[in-house]
Amino acid sequence: MYAFDYHKPRSLAEATALLNANPEARLLAGGMTLIPTLKQRLASPSDLVDLGGLPDLAGIFVGDGEVRIGAMTTHATVAHSAEVRAALPALAALAEGIGDPQVRHRGTIGGSISNADPAADYPAGVVGLGATVVTDRREIAADNFFTGMFETALEPGEIVRQVRFPIPEAAGYAKFPNPASRYAVAGVFVARAAGGVRVAVTGAGPSVFRVPEMEAALTASFTPEAIASVLVDADDLNTDLHATAAYRAHLVGVMAARAVTSALES
Amino acid sequence: MPEIVLTQASAHLRHGSNIGQPLTRRDGVLKVTGAARFAADNHPPGMLYAVLAVSSIARGRVTFLDLQAAKAHPGVVEVMTPANKPLLAEDPDAKTNPFIFRLDVLQNDHVRYANQPIAVVIAETLEAATEGATLLFPRYETEAVRIGLEAGESFIPPGVGIGNPAETHQGDVEAGLAVASRRIDATYETAAQYHNAMEPHAIVAAWDGDSLSIDMPSQGLAMALGRVAGLFGIPPESIHIRSPFLGGGFGSKGLISGPQVLGIMAARLVGRPVKLVLRREQMFGPVGHRAPTRQTVRMGSDSDGALTAIDHHTKTASSTFDDFFEPASDISHTLYASPAISTSHEAVRLDTGTPLFMRAPGEATGSIALESAIDEMAEACGMDPLAFRLKNYAEVEPISGKPFSSKALRDCYAQGAERFGWARRPLASRQMRDDAGLLVGWGMGTATFPALMFQGQARAVVRNDGTGIVETGAHDMGQGASTALAQIAADGLGLDLDQVEFRSGTSDLPDAGIAGGSSHTATAGMAIHSAGADVIARLADLATGDERSPLFGAGNAGVIARRGRLFRRDDESRSESYAEILARAGLAEIEGRGNSAADPAAQSSYAMHAHGAVFAEVKIDPELGQIRATRLVGAFAAGRVINPRLVRSQYYGGMIWGISFALHEHAVMDPRSGRPMNPNLGEYHVPVNADVPSLEAILVEEHDSYVNALGIKGVGEIGITGTAGAVANAVWHATGIRIRQFPITLDRLIEPTP
Repeated sequence: MYAFDYHKPRSLAEATALLNANPEARLLAGGMTLIPTLKQRLASPSDLVDLGGLPDLAGIFVGDGEVRIGAMTTHATVAHSAEVRAALPALAALAEGIGDPQVRHRGTIGGSISNADPAADYPAGVVGLGATVVTDRREIAADNFFTGMFETALEPGEIVRQVRFPIPEAAGYAKFPNPASRYAVAGVFVARAAGGVRVAVTGAGPSVFRVPEMEAALTASFTPEAIASVLVDADDLNTDLHATAAYRAHLVGVMAARAVTSALES
Repeated sequence: MPEIVLTQASAHLRHGSNIGQPLTRRDGVLKVTGAARFAADNHPPGMLYAVLAVSSIARGRVTFLDLQAAKAHPGVVEVMTPANKPLLAEDPDAKTNPFIFRLDVLQNDHVRYANQPIAVVIAETLEAATEGATLLFPRYETEAVRIGLEAGESFIPPGVGIGNPAETHQGDVEAGLAVASRRIDATYETAAQYHNAMEPHAIVAAWDGDSLSIDMPSQGLAMALGRVAGLFGIPPESIHIRSPFLGGGFGSKGLISGPQVLGIMAARLVGRPVKLVLRREQMFGPVGHRAPTRQTVRMGSDSDGALTAIDHHTKTASSTFDDFFEPASDISHTLYASPAISTSHEAVRLDTGTPLFMRAPGEATGSIALESAIDEMAEACGMDPLAFRLKNYAEVEPISGKPFSSKALRDCYAQGAERFGWARRPLASRQMRDDAGLLVGWGMGTATFPALMFQGQARAVVRNDGTGIVETGAHDMGQGASTALAQIAADGLGLDLDQVEFRSGTSDLPDAGIAGGSSHTATAGMAIHSAGADVIARLADLATGDERSPLFGAGNAGVIARRGRLFRRDDESRSESYAEILARAGLAEIEGRGNSAADPAAQSSYAMHAHGAVFAEVKIDPELGQIRATRLVGAFAAGRVINPRLVRSQYYGGMIWGISFALHEHAVMDPRSGRPMNPNLGEYHVPVNADVPSLEAILVEEHDSYVNALGIKGVGEIGITGTAGAVANAVWHATGIRIRQFPITLDRLIEPTP
């Protein structure tokens, strides 16, 4: 780990000022990716600005047809929230399946989506539900938020404050976890709302993506059988130590069907 | 009640004494409370920390190390490189006997594999040494690497394993194949594997003048002593190695490794004690591994399912600079009767560390191919795999024609099959599903491992207070040797276990032989047994020759030793305690010595192997290809069982490794850089609790009068053999898909989309 200066601001304004004053500063949320990255010397920020001191950034509000989750809310808090479990059980289940208990009690939704790991779970929920990411300067639609592998629409110094999830009629998430890390080898979030069905895939490609053919088929008939014949093209998917692109393409189909089944059961 | 029978019987006749009791590990409380002091727990006064800098290239030369930066870091004391390393008395690249392997100890700037040590940073703290190693920022001159079995020129190795011929032929295989009515010709691939004991290789070394004190996990204290003495040019008596506990070894701690020698050199260089512990990723290179193989098995059988030929050919790899060739084909010498058997090996040289002995070297690797091939052959014959194995049961060792010293494999088949419920297995594949819709498959494999013995010595003492001491430099790798051997020690002295102090795990004790080849209980145990018998014989001489003893004149009738007393064999009312015998003789104690070695006459007359049968159930999600080994039953016959609890535990460990071999372990090498891509336990998968099913190991009774006087075969490695193939065969039975590349990956069980 390289040396850095540590800050724990008490307000968003103070955090923004620190970021503006230190161009090489990085934000620290739960630190579940950043701290191992620092330890391996894959990053060398001059300053760490810890968002853990901003109480306004954590918390859950359910109402007005929405679930709003503060950026610094941990996965465990979401998973165990009675309100989330009642209003959007698929999202609570997604949070419950992230990593291990330590990760779930440190990692945050804001950190997860800002990091935009291609195998993270939350991006599937955010895109699958058509959520809105609220930052300190604007609102960003989920479809515009994730722009590539570890890349988002966030500008330098921009801080995620909250994610607003519209409550769907039905939703489900299914993933095939890596046996060691529990990251998604492929994970599919399916949501049916008045406007139609959304299908978002994580883990399989460089970044979370939607599957329009599945969405159309499921809008016509929200059953696992409806997508049985939809094939996902392996060409744009990832091949790595854990799985080939072809196997991931296959998994997307299986997980999508299981997500639909889960949505129908909830 | 322990006793010794002083007769000329070749076998140890005593039953139901200390030997045979399912005692828990005597060091168990120490280990669960954390009181057991492993090598790296030792911190002598003034100790410094040494950290390896290892190569990130696999072939070439180190052209630059930023020594200035490393030395400038606060806390760094010294950086050891080829330029300033202490001189060794012996060339670490000299090859003086088959058990000497070439070491990388900074003898020059050449790099011959990734993760090879290229410098050692020594500092006041682990953090400073780690930082210093990072600051070296090495630069290299890189050459193209040779990785994978297709790299380089293939050649026939001069020998495989330790001194086995690369080729063996018995009968005419081509003729046997020609007359066969059923034939298979199948190629199986096994992945490179790394031992990955939980405890990494470690050393704490302290010099006092030319005397050297070492804490280091070792499976071979005497050989380590000899190697260190040779390298540093000091007499073995000046070296003291302590290895009371190992956190696993699996063969990788059989020989002292290069990094451990570097720890000793570092201590010499700085004149202070030094501790050096490998990081997990550094264990993927300089401390041995199991080489990948590609094995082609051809078999033929007649219309009744009797084998007419077995041809087993292995392509494997060694390093560019030393020889260890995984003797995978040799498994086909001993298991199945066939009028013609041919085994052969070829190899390439790769830019990796030298492969070494890894739990069941050759047997594990060969077994998964042979047992898969047997399953394929049974399928070709339309026969049940167990019936096919019984049809081809070897009554004598197929390759040599020798009778077996003992072979209870039929009992293993019968007891294992009964317990598993094998008779209900449908012959065809893809017939069974469970309530959740998962595909269910049942497979089996035959387990085998040779009954080996090395040479060992032990010393035993009975004191005039009636207690005993038994000493031998044995190694407790976690398998429980210090418990099982103490049982043999107490039995040999005719004392209760708590009356005997058993000393082991240090290099100043008599050489117990290496803890390898599944031979440790036999080797060290026989030495201990002989030493105990020697003491009892001396006590008997004192008593029976002394007219004041109630045993006077019993020399011809003989005596038996039990619970600290000698009894006249033909009149047990006449007896005397050890304490009384020694007191009358005016002796404080009496000492005996014992040796053990394989009996060459018995070895030339008999084939000696342990056997077993393993039955496996797997469940497979047909949509995902996800495999769960849900049930394993193994039945093993390995001669006399000293401690059933520990033996069962060894079988479990081996069976779990079999699951690992078939489904998990795979060291992935980058063909461009030559670096292992998954040198961590997050990506190099071994089974965890969730992967391990219900395990059962049946201890099948077997008496062997020829392997040694105690009748002990080995149990350390056999569990892997048979199991890996059983799991693979169960995968076929569940799915109808025959996978010949191991580990089996999920994607290959998905039916290709039409």
